[in-house]
Amino acid sequence: MSGGSRTVRDRAPGDRALGDLVTGDGTAGGHAMVELRGVHKSFGPLHVLRGVDLTVEQGQVTVILGPSGSGKSTLLRTINHLEKVDRGSVRVGGRLLGYRQVGDRLHELSEREILRQRTQIGFVFQSFNLFPHLTVRQNLTEAPLSAQRRPRAEAEALAARLLERVGLADKADAYPRTLSGGQQQRVAIARALALEPALVLFDEPTSALDPELVGEVLEVMKDLARSGTTMIVVTHEIGFAREVADTVVFMDAGLVVESGPPAQVLDDPRHERTRAFIGKVL
Amino acid sequence: MVTARHPLRWVAVAGVLVLLAMAASALITNPAWEWEIVGQYLFAPSVVRSVVLTLELTVMGIVLGFALGTLLALMRLSPNRLLSSVAWGYVWLFRSVPLILQLLFWYNLALLYPRLSFGVPFGPALFDIGTMDLIGPLTAAVLGLALHQAAYAAEIVRGGLLSVDHGQREAAAALGIPRARRLLRIILPQAMRTIVPNAGNEIIGLVKGTSVVYIMALPELFYQVQVIYNRNGRVMALLLVAAIWYLILTTALSIVQYYVERYYGRGRA
Repeated sequence: MSGGSRTVRDRAPGDRALGDLVTGDGTAGGHAMVELRGVHKSFGPLHVLRGVDLTVEQGQVTVILGPSGSGKSTLLRTINHLEKVDRGSVRVGGRLLGYRQVGDRLHELSEREILRQRTQIGFVFQSFNLFPHLTVRQNLTEAPLSAQRRPRAEAEALAARLLERVGLADKADAYPRTLSGGQQQRVAIARALALEPALVLFDEPTSALDPELVGEVLEVMKDLARSGTTMIVVTHEIGFAREVADTVVFMDAGLVVESGPPAQVLDDPRHERTRAFIGKVL
Repeated sequence: MVTARHPLRWVAVAGVLVLLAMAASALITNPAWEWEIVGQYLFAPSVVRSVVLTLELTVMGIVLGFALGTLLALMRLSPNRLLSSVAWGYVWLFRSVPLILQLLFWYNLALLYPRLSFGVPFGPALFDIGTMDLIGPLTAAVLGLALHQAAYAAEIVRGGLLSVDHGQREAAAALGIPRARRLLRIILPQAMRTIVPNAGNEIIGLVKGTSVVYIMALPELFYQVQVIYNRNGRVMALLLVAAIWYLILTTALSIVQYYVERYYGRGRA
């Protein structure tokens, strides 16, 4: 596997860590694909995100690790506005997500503008969430047709190419329920890619799969990483993180505890909490 | 080789067969059923016309009822408190008052409001019309059936929408699919799996429920056979004519329902 040969971009030393509540200042510096600044999110009394900062460069693969309840999934969901943030800012491709800044005030974007932003961001769910009443091909063409208004022939050609890529060219006319879990998740990845997004988010993509089906999904994701797609992956697959990630981010209790290259975070963690977690899962 | 023996089952089968034979014999041999009269009236033009009216009332009641019901269900599920309260209130009111009373109410609306005017709310009227001219017996019947049906349809559609997994909405939203399209293409077709069997019950209920409008002297099936037997005294034969037609209509609808359910069940094992 050549996935490990990708270079890790140099970043400023001193990782963004606990309690750094600096809010975003104007435009994103450099070519950060994703930039979160001081993101807070509560569900009722539950303070799930407590000021998260995160930067993901274009073309990078970022793996987010952490115990359940640490806010990983919620964080991911704020990056395509499935969850609104209470405080802080989320920028994708340098643009504020879900809001427009006028002076120093934020105005929520219209539904249509939010949907347009979402078409640039693919999302792969733990439970696939394929549309069961549509065939595999229809699952892949729905968003390009209705959200991007692409011509049908073009959408279908793209769907065929993507199914080829995830190794399911012969399943175009099948209904999702007739496929195995691994095949369904590969279809779901192809569906996310059908929007030709600049960024793909994965929320525990292999957690709902039988152990013997995990490999085929990870293979597709590795292939995607090799092609230079910007990816943020919440997972418990440490092996995947080690092999594919440019950056591993460890979260606990709604904060980024530490982040860095996999070799450093996985093998030589600086924080006690990271060490305890890695020790348990390895 | 071991053969399973079910002696009691054979006794039960024999017993049931004897009972069926007795029932058939009672229907055929008793001349009081007057089968020849039944045959004579089954396709009589006045009866066939009344069947058509029954069908029309059913179709209008269901189509308008479910259109309004779907709107009410969406209002009920809206985060807007006023919309959901109004929808709740509607269902509460129209489900609580007996249909026959609602029908009489619409029929007699002219007693409350002799004239209806249309125009700017609380402002000038563009035109007005006598209530009696606008709401005849047929309009009152359709109005009553549809508004009553809408209350039940609202609950059926709401139940169907709620039965769709939340992940489906999220996936559709994450893909940037526009809101209306999400509802029509992703959510409703899946909700139909739950909606159709219940709606089938409602439609079949309404076919028979239209018989209530006989109180407004509308010549639907039940009213029509009453008119005929009041004239010729063949009560049982004509009630049988009505029963046979209701059976035919509901059987046809059950067959349609089977295929509709199969269509919306596609993609499911």
